Amino acid sequence: MIIGTNYKIAYVHLTSKVKQTIVALLGVVFGISMYVFMNSFMSGVNDTQTTLAFTTLAHVHIYNDGPADRTNLVNSVYGPGVVANIRDPKVIQYTEGIKNSASIVSLVSKQPEVIGIAPQVNISVFFRNSGSKVNGNLSGVDVAEQEKLFGIAEYMIKGKWNDLLYQPNGVIIGSGLAHTLSLNIDDNVNVLTSDGFTHNYKVIGIFQTNIVNVDKITAYLNITAARQLLSKNQDYITDLQVNLNNFEKTPPLVSRLAPVIPYKVESWQTANQQLEAGSSLRDIIAMAVSLTILMVAGFGIYNIMNMTINEKIREIAILKAMGFSSGDVTTIFLAQAVVIGIVGGIIGLIFGFIFATIVNHIPFRIGGIDHLPMDYNVGDYVLAFIFGLITTLVAGYLPARKASKIDPVDILRG
Amino acid sequence: MENNIALKANHIVKHFYQPEPFEVLRDLSFEVKKGEFVSLIGKSGSGKSTLLYILSTMDTDYDGELYINNEKLTGQTRNQLAAFRNGHIGFVFQFHYLLPEFNVLDNIMLPALKLKKKSREEIEEKAYQNLKLLGLEEQALKLASKLSGGQQQRVAIARALINDPSIIMGDEPTGNLDSKNTQIVFDIFKELAREQGQTIITVTHDEDFAKNSDRVIEMSDGKIL
Repeated sequence: MIIGTNYKIAYVHLTSKVKQTIVALLGVVFGISMYVFMNSFMSGVNDTQTTLAFTTLAHVHIYNDGPADRTNLVNSVYGPGVVANIRDPKVIQYTEGIKNSASIVSLVSKQPEVIGIAPQVNISVFFRNSGSKVNGNLSGVDVAEQEKLFGIAEYMIKGKWNDLLYQPNGVIIGSGLAHTLSLNIDDNVNVLTSDGFTHNYKVIGIFQTNIVNVDKITAYLNITAARQLLSKNQDYITDLQVNLNNFEKTPPLVSRLAPVIPYKVESWQTANQQLEAGSSLRDIIAMAVSLTILMVAGFGIYNIMNMTINEKIREIAILKAMGFSSGDVTTIFLAQAVVIGIVGGIIGLIFGFIFATIVNHIPFRIGGIDHLPMDYNVGDYVLAFIFGLITTLVAGYLPARKASKIDPVDILRG
Repeated sequence: MENNIALKANHIVKHFYQPEPFEVLRDLSFEVKKGEFVSLIGKSGSGKSTLLYILSTMDTDYDGELYINNEKLTGQTRNQLAAFRNGHIGFVFQFHYLLPEFNVLDNIMLPALKLKKKSREEIEEKAYQNLKLLGLEEQALKLASKLSGGQQQRVAIARALINDPSIIMGDEPTGNLDSKNTQIVFDIFKELAREQGQTIITVTHDEDFAKNSDRVIEMSDGKIL
């Protein structure tokens, strides 16, 4: 029953000074809604960045890293003590691309986290249209798998991605490449490989990923047609692009696959450390800004609680004279802080959500985005609430402890 | 110790250190019997209020020993003393000190709700009894801050009585009241001492008030005259 009595006193304190309570509430509401908004925005930005990056980037990339340095074969037979003098060594490349790809594909597809594997035959070529010549990358792809991994059909601005399936003579080229070579749909483009093979293809589609470096040099071709161009067998691929159910979880897969696959197994993080750094930095900024706001809100609560306690110092003294213990007084004031924390927290979450939704609708048309990105992650909301509660608890506990230490004699004697 | 002793002070000495070291109470020893109505008088600075706050257990910074109802209170922790006050001591102050945001009934009930000896219904009934005793039953649901000074002081007395304390202490309980209200408060105290056997110790400046009580303890320069 005493618990009820303490809470009743706390309730009366909160409701009798409505303005002060509202000001304290607003502090928490502002802090928490900002926390929610900042984090939603930053993770929205990170997600957009990731999506953009993964339009051309797989989570794990398996490829032939080129031959090792084998210019001194004598040492590998006789050991390092033997002096060998080899002039003008030439590397005779035994393997190009990935041999025996079927067994590798079946091994990789057995891994539980793998959700997609796209084999590719990437060929470094010159694209030519009469006078103009562009050095670029002709990518022979498995049409369905490529779409599954990179969702490229979404970036088609002319033609249809699936047409590639049925037209062995057709290529889909990047918008930048089309522009440089003055190509349009149904035009012909000539391709020259580094080994001197040449072939004419018809442009059946144009895509635009908004990543300039990709749009300017890439063309897609059916993987069978690419093998034909190189006169390779049906098992030949140069790259294997692998996607996982969670793109953050590449290291365990890489460490499992690398020892058993005789080719380079590389995660996107290793290949693109700047992306990883960018995301982490943005997360840190969001965290720093929102925690600062919460801290300011905490100081607001601290001030208001201190004011309340100074105003009620005589009442606290009388409560103690009547036999309320220090613990009771702490409970009375801490309860007020907790109520402000919980109510302010809930309102703050709602406001944060509304604010995030509004900002989400602001138009922003750069690089294939049409409005500001926003992420709605339950975890952010839960964390915001917890941080808000901790802040109010700390901000309320210090004045409450001060109140509990009030000596009634000092106050009542005047 | 005899059973009819309500309060016993043994060689109480108290110093103030601010603004300069000063001995306020000099080796005071006395006893108060159960049901006695005692007035503490003396000039300002004689130490009577200081003594009252020591007797009330709120001030623990003194030398000597204090017994109430044969229980030694010197050396107990603040929370133990708070619990003791809650059950055994009722307070009436010069400036009534009600909680202004609560209604009269809640003000009176608070110490009993803290004590937890009775159910809420019993406490409420007791509170109404006390209000009736003091002629305030009409005011039960008004906010404490809406009452007149005399009424507030009577509410404070009703609150002091809620837990049937063995001792009621007053710090100039009539200091702020006109003569009519002073008379009412005095009569209530007298009745409580006579009929309920409650011990009453009040500090007062009012000579008539003191003269009519059972016993007067006059203080001067930290000593009982």
